[in-house]
Amino acid sequence: MNTWAEMNETQPLVSKMLANSIKKDRISHAYMFQGAKGTGKYQLSLLLAKSLFCKNRLDGDPCNACKDCQRIDSGNHPDVHQIIPDGQSIKKEQILHLQKEFTYTGLESNQKVYIIVDADKMTTNAANRLLKFLEEPSKLTTAMLLTENSQAIIQTIRSRCQIMALQPLNPKTVEKKLQEQGLSDSSAKLMAAMTNNINEAVEISEDEWFANARKLVVQLVEVLQAKPDEALLFIHNQWMPHFKERDQLQQGLDLLIFFFKDIIYHYIGNENAIVYINLLDQITQASMHWSRQYATHTLNMIMEAKRKLDQNVHPALVMEQLTLQIQR
Amino acid sequence: MKFVIQRDQLMDSVQHVMKAISSRTTIPILTGLKIEAKDDGVKLTGSDSDISIESFIPKEEDGIINVEQIEPGSIVLQAKYFPDIVRKLPQKTVEIESDDHLKVTIRSGSAEFHLNGQDADEYPQLAQLHTEDSFEIPIDLLKNLIKQTVFAVSTVETRPILTGVNMKVEDNHLDFIATDSHRLASRKIPLEKSSSQLKFSNVVIPGKSLNELNKILDDTHDNIEVSVTENQILFRTKNLYFLSRLLDGNYPETSRLIPEQSKTIVYGNTKELLNSIDRASLLAKESRNNVVRLQTKENNQIEITSNSPEVGKVVEELTAKSIEGEELKISFSAKYMMDALKVVENEQVKIEFTGAMRPFIIRPIDNDNVLQLILPVRTY
Repeated sequence: MNTWAEMNETQPLVSKMLANSIKKDRISHAYMFQGAKGTGKYQLSLLLAKSLFCKNRLDGDPCNACKDCQRIDSGNHPDVHQIIPDGQSIKKEQILHLQKEFTYTGLESNQKVYIIVDADKMTTNAANRLLKFLEEPSKLTTAMLLTENSQAIIQTIRSRCQIMALQPLNPKTVEKKLQEQGLSDSSAKLMAAMTNNINEAVEISEDEWFANARKLVVQLVEVLQAKPDEALLFIHNQWMPHFKERDQLQQGLDLLIFFFKDIIYHYIGNENAIVYINLLDQITQASMHWSRQYATHTLNMIMEAKRKLDQNVHPALVMEQLTLQIQR
Repeated sequence: MKFVIQRDQLMDSVQHVMKAISSRTTIPILTGLKIEAKDDGVKLTGSDSDISIESFIPKEEDGIINVEQIEPGSIVLQAKYFPDIVRKLPQKTVEIESDDHLKVTIRSGSAEFHLNGQDADEYPQLAQLHTEDSFEIPIDLLKNLIKQTVFAVSTVETRPILTGVNMKVEDNHLDFIATDSHRLASRKIPLEKSSSQLKFSNVVIPGKSLNELNKILDDTHDNIEVSVTENQILFRTKNLYFLSRLLDGNYPETSRLIPEQSKTIVYGNTKELLNSIDRASLLAKESRNNVVRLQTKENNQIEITSNSPEVGKVVEELTAKSIEGEELKISFSAKYMMDALKVVENEQVKIEFTGAMRPFIIRPIDNDNVLQLILPVRTY
């Protein structure tokens, strides 16, 4: 994403608004880019930063060749500050560092930009600190908050930003692009459901870990139907050793969600929407076992489990509870 | 890029610039040290984005050749390893060479290091010299100016602008002012050269940078050139450049805070006063705000007392040289008073009071250019 024209292909509305405000020199002091994974929030923020700093700007587009542009891409620009969550959350100290940074003059120019990635991960303390200088911006400061869930950010911050909602990509287009990249129909469909980012999708689909994860999800569903008493054993012996990290487990639960969604699609006859097109037999079999109502209920429980993982509940306990709930 | 350099010279320079490099920085390239070879010498740069230090090694100095076989170019090397490598090299000379793929070779005698460098284009571009807004003062005088003001800067970040020292140039006078809103330290000196066009008032240098600068400079009579650009200040000695970013914002107008008339004037011996306040604060330190009380008495006597009910109390009388004006009882922070008296640098001190609830001024007896102002503490 090196020009606004390129950005226009995926995010026409937002890129038009931003490109125009650059041309008319009416950049707001704070933006919140909100959109699902893979919609290009980060690329958008870099593009905007480059447009602000680039000295050879041509009709609003950065040149992508000068030192300023190159250093923004490599993260070495001294006046562009990026805050990335340190572990699970953005800590107070990170915002404090930013605060100190902004009492100083710029190193090369007086233009300053800060980009906060995953802004919803700010702790309450950090958010309140940020609020203080979001409220009183100096002339040439531009803040960009990137988030997948703007509702998780405190109201007082949201109200001070210009909110730019990035539209989700059409899964069909993503699917098509993935097929062009040489993925099989079934995995293209699954990847399109998993992420909107083409490169990430290709990467994941080539990962052996992911292939095994897919197998495990199918196995889990089978175990839950056939031998529910052994489900806990399965979780401990097979599931947990494979999904070691929290985000791995989140991915595993996503895969599980797709399966139960498919059951529902099967019930309502929307066969086109089914993600696991190569597992139709299993889905038909599962829908004999679980009622439509029960599948909906299960989806709710999986969502709840995902939420608990975010809140730092022990992963093994979350999975145990989930399987017990599904059995019931 | 290629050059051959004297190891001792290089080590000196590396040590200087290393002072600016911090391992905890958010900009990855700043963990490195920039080496730039030009036809007239080699320049090293280190920075933590707040301060940047550049050290220049001229090709030839006083007839001694420092650098040979220069092929111009520049590279950024990891500051974690480079200094140790230079220190431990076997020979007196070091050859440094970089190729197009950012690979650096360091050769000395039979030892040969290959390091991965980074592109020098990625390094922040430091402000070029602006000679218009500059003036020169002796280094020892600058160090003195810093010492007499920087202690008074604020350490809390509630008003960030107060964590810096305000530098003013007006009517051929250079003025340093620092305050944390409870006390104020100011020092004024006349500038030698008649650069009457030169005038700036809203330059605020971070206290931390000045402390750092004070550490780096040696006490000499050589001149240092100070130039100010829009967002940076540059201190330049012969081969060492020290750049600091400035604080953003408007420094509060301080001239109105200084009372012009006084009701009571006390002349006294600086050292005696300092020591007696030091003694009184021994007990006061324990209590929350370290307050001592000063009371004028007849026959040029001053009584200094401190009372912390849980610990005990202390009373000390000392003789002032003279006391003019009304009688006075006043309480103030012992720490602020001691800080102020320590930098007076004269045997005799003059303290001007304007009542127990008004700020008072401390000055050396012979010099109106040093001024320390302290706000009293309200006690009942």
